Amino acid sequence: MLGALAAIPVLIAIAVRVTSGSSSGRGPAFLDQITQNGLFVALTAMVVSTPLFLPLTVGVVAGDTISGEASHGTLRYLLAAPAGRVRLLVVKFVGAAVFCLSAAGSVVLAGILIGAILFPVGPVTLLSGDTVGPVESIGRLALVASYVAVSLLGLSAIGLFISTLTDVPVGAMAATVVLAVTAQVLGALPQLDWLHPWLFTNYWLGFADLLRQPIAWDSFGSNAVLQLGYIVVFGALAYSRFTTKDVLS
Amino acid sequence: MTRRWIRWLPAIAVPAVIAAGVLIVPLSANAAVDLPAKTPQQVLEMVATTSVDAFSGTVVQTADLGLPELPQIGQTAGSGSNAPGTDSGQTASIAAALEFLTGTHTARVFVDGPTKTRLQVMDSLAERDLVHNGSNVWLYDSAKNAATRVTLPQGDATVPNDGSTTIQTPAEMADRLLASVGPSTTVTVGDNTRVAGRPVYDLVLTPKSADTLVGSVSIGVDSETGLPLQVLVRARGQQSPAFRIAFSDVTLTAPSAGLFDFTPPAGATVTQQALPQSNSATGHATMPAAPPTVTGTGWDTVVSLPAGQGTSTMLDSPMLAQVTTSVSGGRLLSTSLLNVYLSQDGRVFAGAVPLSVLQSAATGR
Repeated sequence: MLGALAAIPVLIAIAVRVTSGSSSGRGPAFLDQITQNGLFVALTAMVVSTPLFLPLTVGVVAGDTISGEASHGTLRYLLAAPAGRVRLLVVKFVGAAVFCLSAAGSVVLAGILIGAILFPVGPVTLLSGDTVGPVESIGRLALVASYVAVSLLGLSAIGLFISTLTDVPVGAMAATVVLAVTAQVLGALPQLDWLHPWLFTNYWLGFADLLRQPIAWDSFGSNAVLQLGYIVVFGALAYSRFTTKDVLS
Repeated sequence: MTRRWIRWLPAIAVPAVIAAGVLIVPLSANAAVDLPAKTPQQVLEMVATTSVDAFSGTVVQTADLGLPELPQIGQTAGSGSNAPGTDSGQTASIAAALEFLTGTHTARVFVDGPTKTRLQVMDSLAERDLVHNGSNVWLYDSAKNAATRVTLPQGDATVPNDGSTTIQTPAEMADRLLASVGPSTTVTVGDNTRVAGRPVYDLVLTPKSADTLVGSVSIGVDSETGLPLQVLVRARGQQSPAFRIAFSDVTLTAPSAGLFDFTPPAGATVTQQALPQSNSATGHATMPAAPPTVTGTGWDTVVSLPAGQGTSTMLDSPMLAQVTTSVSGGRLLSTSLLNVYLSQDGRVFAGAVPLSVLQSAATGR
């Protein structure tokens, strides 16, 4: 799956390279700057993959955590060892979190690599119009990757909880991904203003704030707090459900 | 069985704790703030003599004027292809003006003295900047990757604005409002509150006139420095504030000097604008040459524009047709704070007054 994610920036870069330049102002943000600076491949790929591809893979991984073991019939054996259910949950969540980080990291890393191969690399123009050198821009890209990884933690916790509800992993994966899409649809409706700060997708595209000069840390902080809230709530739900569940398979 | 129930406790307790926290935190923030009592006159003096001339902060502007909210997507799609002067350019400029009258906008402000200002309007995945340093003013739009440079004549501190960065700081807006305080206004001091974590005096301006849509204007004045931190405009007959502009955080130290040195990035479209022509050429191209007429004083002032070529074409604009309603003798753009009446002969009447006042102003001549 990491390979599939890494293919996104590669596809974007090759498409831009082959068609050589798009008219400015069309397509996803940062697309028209790729030809001048390869580092923008990573950013464009992030904008493209944040709404669907990343939640899709995270949904698959998080939805598979418990129900996958159950469907393979291995959950019983895992719990037969004196490790305890809480520990299994924590380990499964940490695994999902590591996947979030490596997923976001692989998109950015593949973007930087393919961008550096196909296009010139130079100082990056920030959203504020200021320019920063390549070293600082790679630092900022690393920040963007960590921001997106943090953004996906809430979804992982939801996936973990749904995974404890069922023995059918496909159901848990689908439910998690559907939730991610639903939250984004709700976030696009201005009539539901009051709900927006509570949606775990609310700050997903806020990584743009890391590309301003000076960096606006507010959204990083609010995002972290929001995701932490989701982790705590769904972690508690998953704990309660999993420790009271009759494990038969 | 009891063990099962105990295990479900966290699932119930954690959301309950979070919900309680969410409910209690705003309550404690709004708890009464103890400040030495001051008369309205003393607070006005604080504002007039404020010594803060360097600060940075985040300004949040929320407008709830009863206008339909335009989706953000439409705004960015329109900005991609607008040629000034053409009909789509005109529609885009109307859209840009309307954009700041709906929804919430966030901007960062950096101020160091009267000659160094930087304003950053933060859009989703984009930003619009206004950098003013001495006699140089740069406007930068990251979505179009276009920079505009304006050179101010010596000694002139008024910054031109093409409408794309029309967010003011609460202080600028408060100054403008206080300048117009006259015998038509009652000034009182309301309950002290907190804005951006700082205790503020609440200066309330209430119009005496019954013929205005403005219910009251309250200005949050920082209790330590006298810097206005919030402006809140309430409309008559509307529960939520019609317009609010406030700092969400503010730092009263000079921002780093490097922020005011702007060099347009490589690859950006750079245009140079001369000052005197620019205002009449771009911003007000659609406005007739004749100056607007002002009738009435104080809160029930009506501004009227004579018929011109620009206003009649504006009447046909589909954008405008969408936000206006048909009334007897013309069309009305109605918001909870401001009514704009476009009479059929092309004249425009605007004011913070009910429609009947505008109509009588139109038939009065």
